[in-house]
Amino acid sequence: MTGGRILVVEDNALNLKLIRDVLQVGGYDVVEARSGEEGVHLAHDCSPDLVLMDLQLPGIDGVEALHQIRQDPVVGDVPVVAVTAFAMEEDRERAYADGFDGYLSKPISVRALPSQVDAFLVRGHPHG
Amino acid sequence: MAEHGTATDEAERERLRRARDDATDQFTAANAVLSALGRSAMDPDAVLDTIVDSACRLCRAQAAQVYLIDGDSFTLASSVGVTDELRSHLQAHPIRVDRDTMVGRAATDHSVQQIADAQEDPAYRRRDIQEIAGFRTVIAAPMLLDDEVVGALSLLRSDVNPFDASGSALLETFAAQAAVVVRHVHLLAALDTRGVELARRVDQLEALSEVGGLVSSSLVLDEVLSTIIKNAVRFSGCDGGSVMEYIEDDHSFSVRSAYASSPELLARLRGVRIELETTLVGRAARERHPIAVPDLDDVDLDPHLAVLHDDGWRSVLAVPVLRGERIIGALVVRRRTPGAFAPETVDFLETFAGQSALAVTNARLFRELEVKSAELEVVSQHKSEFLASMSHELRTPLNAVIGFSEVLLERLFGDLNERQEDYLRDILSSGQHLLELLNEILDLSKVEAGRMELEPSTFSVPAALDYGIAMVRGRAAVHGITITLDVDPALDMVESDELKFKQVLVNLLSNAVKFTPDGGHVFVGAHQVGRDVEVTVRDDGPGIAPEDRERIFEAFQQGRRGAPKEEGTGLGLTLCRRLVALLGGRIWLETETGAGSTFGFAVPAGSATPTATAPPVDAPLVLVVDDDRASLDLLAAYLDGLGVRVLQARDGRAGLDAVRSTRPAAVVLDIRLPGMDGWEVLEHLKADATTRDIPVVVASILDERARGLAMGASAYLVKPVGRDELVSALRRTGALPATLPTELRATSTEGAQR
Repeated sequence: MTGGRILVVEDNALNLKLIRDVLQVGGYDVVEARSGEEGVHLAHDCSPDLVLMDLQLPGIDGVEALHQIRQDPVVGDVPVVAVTAFAMEEDRERAYADGFDGYLSKPISVRALPSQVDAFLVRGHPHG
Repeated sequence: MAEHGTATDEAERERLRRARDDATDQFTAANAVLSALGRSAMDPDAVLDTIVDSACRLCRAQAAQVYLIDGDSFTLASSVGVTDELRSHLQAHPIRVDRDTMVGRAATDHSVQQIADAQEDPAYRRRDIQEIAGFRTVIAAPMLLDDEVVGALSLLRSDVNPFDASGSALLETFAAQAAVVVRHVHLLAALDTRGVELARRVDQLEALSEVGGLVSSSLVLDEVLSTIIKNAVRFSGCDGGSVMEYIEDDHSFSVRSAYASSPELLARLRGVRIELETTLVGRAARERHPIAVPDLDDVDLDPHLAVLHDDGWRSVLAVPVLRGERIIGALVVRRRTPGAFAPETVDFLETFAGQSALAVTNARLFRELEVKSAELEVVSQHKSEFLASMSHELRTPLNAVIGFSEVLLERLFGDLNERQEDYLRDILSSGQHLLELLNEILDLSKVEAGRMELEPSTFSVPAALDYGIAMVRGRAAVHGITITLDVDPALDMVESDELKFKQVLVNLLSNAVKFTPDGGHVFVGAHQVGRDVEVTVRDDGPGIAPEDRERIFEAFQQGRRGAPKEEGTGLGLTLCRRLVALLGGRIWLETETGAGSTFGFAVPAGSATPTATAPPVDAPLVLVVDDDRASLDLLAAYLDGLGVRVLQARDGRAGLDAVRSTRPAAVVLDIRLPGMDGWEVLEHLKADATTRDIPVVVASILDERARGLAMGASAYLVKPVGRDELVSALRRTGALPATLPTELRATSTEGAQR
């Protein structure tokens, strides 16, 4: 399955551009947010099908942004996937413990990203 | 002078000859006495015997006696030529220290006394002795020790033949020697009677050694100091004391610890300024020797002494604590009563002060060390934080470099010409190399900080080897390098840490490829050796010089391997060594300059059960999670011969770890498991994007099919599970290779559904 709206919350312009371009080529509608706050607002405004959330963000971090999104009555159930450079098992575990629905580690695989995102979209949010 | 011999000359010659002989005899006798003294230090009687014997002989007497004063009378200590009768008579009727006898008179007058004929002289009053002994001439010399008479030495002649001046002088010499013996006796006696004193001395020595032990064993300054002052006070017989540290910058002493002192006194002592220039303690330190004040009432009081005086102390002894030229501090002991301090107390405290100096110096060094360590800790913390942040800051742009190179190489935005593709590959591989370097730095800093943890997993060694070779195959192909793999067929699953195992392997492989000349060979071998799995990587490279064989495992050392395409982080082998150590194994190098190198590592294989007939390493992997051995074996047996590799886990945690590390084609999961149960494992697997697509077939005695399927299980089988049941459930998940349609049909009615 292709298509769907994906909110990418990422403070680094180049990484954001990379993910956006790869997803757009894959047929997704990409909404970009450069901070946790912006991510929370855009999640509410744009009703994405999936959020890719960087963990290290200026201002509120990815975990806090996730919690605020979960509070939102409209989009609280959206699957949110953590994206981080901490390529460690413990970080992965922590991401699940923090309530993320999935985990992607950087560097993202350009080839694999569309199918990874697809999988999250198909599964949807397990709590939902 | 007297060549023409006259009678007078002849007599004079004879006199000289005799004088010379006498002198020789006396010298010999003195020597005998001295050597007796040396020989019989602990046997004064033997020495006295030697003295009376020599005196008697040299002075040509018939008898000689040594009398010692005992109260107001004499006792015969040693004699020669004296009958038993006289001896017992003297015992019954001792000679008194008075003018009745020559012995008594010599003792009284402190000079040699002689009577030419005791029988005729009215001055001699002990007729009884004279009659028994039968002597006529008697001479006696006092035995003097520091003007004190301790006895007398007397000589008797049975004829009337007075001793001449030289005889008299000789007697005096012998008497003096006898006195030395007596002093010796006195000292021994004093030592004997001072048993208590000796015991105390032993205590003091023990106290010293206790402090000595503390000096080396404990470096806590105040603890050391309070032990020192406690022992100093206790064993010097004082009533209290304090120990001070000299503050060089302030030219004053600061009271560190006190013993047998009230808190108020200690507070006052700490409050008063004890200057080097103006106080008794300061003077002791400046003059570098102990100073005693027997009575504080009698001296001008400096501020420190004034405090002590106010508190009721009367006598004080200040002992400087010195270390070479440096003033370290001072020991001060005090008594509530006035009085001098015994020299041995002062000696003892000086020794103690020496020990204290060592203690204080060590403790100061230790304190400095602690401060330095704390600083180092902070630096190390900063280093870790720096590495973490640097890692993040560098990774972010690198991710872009790698990602955009990939975007172009994937032709997401159109085709590339050959040169563009070549350059992009260079950009990509450089970026990946940098990322690898970063990761290694970060890993190494984690290992070194003790923050690298083992993540145990069960994995296939052949698969890991394939993975490692795949990682370097591209590079090897570019350089025409052939990689040959030789795996022991019995080798399969091991329990170790897959990621770290692979990391070591890939590192060794990329080194081998790096240092093998174009068109060369890399040989990879893996064998079970005892309980270990041993992997060797041999290259065709230049080899490593003997002096570099150890160094090469150190950080940023590549050895002098002049490979043309040499590049690397210089951290790889260092990290490998640390990782292998973490895995409980070892890493080694066999090499000869010019004949290639073989790097090997061995890690414990753990308890993973090797499968009897190993299916192809690329065969699908099925993980069976069950805590019951029999059940595990049965399920595994069902899968035997179906072209799959079976991996077993005995509990939920191990199962979850195994799924994450091996990414099996399917999981057969029991629900009732120790620790993390099957439901939890299922939940974790389905919540993880990387594992949620792995089909899970539940096999449990619990019939909770609905719950299992709702949670994402592909099939739910209730035990006892038949072979066909299991096989068909797995086939439907796609985990088993497609096979005979009849079998599919035969099991197609199986009720598991999604």
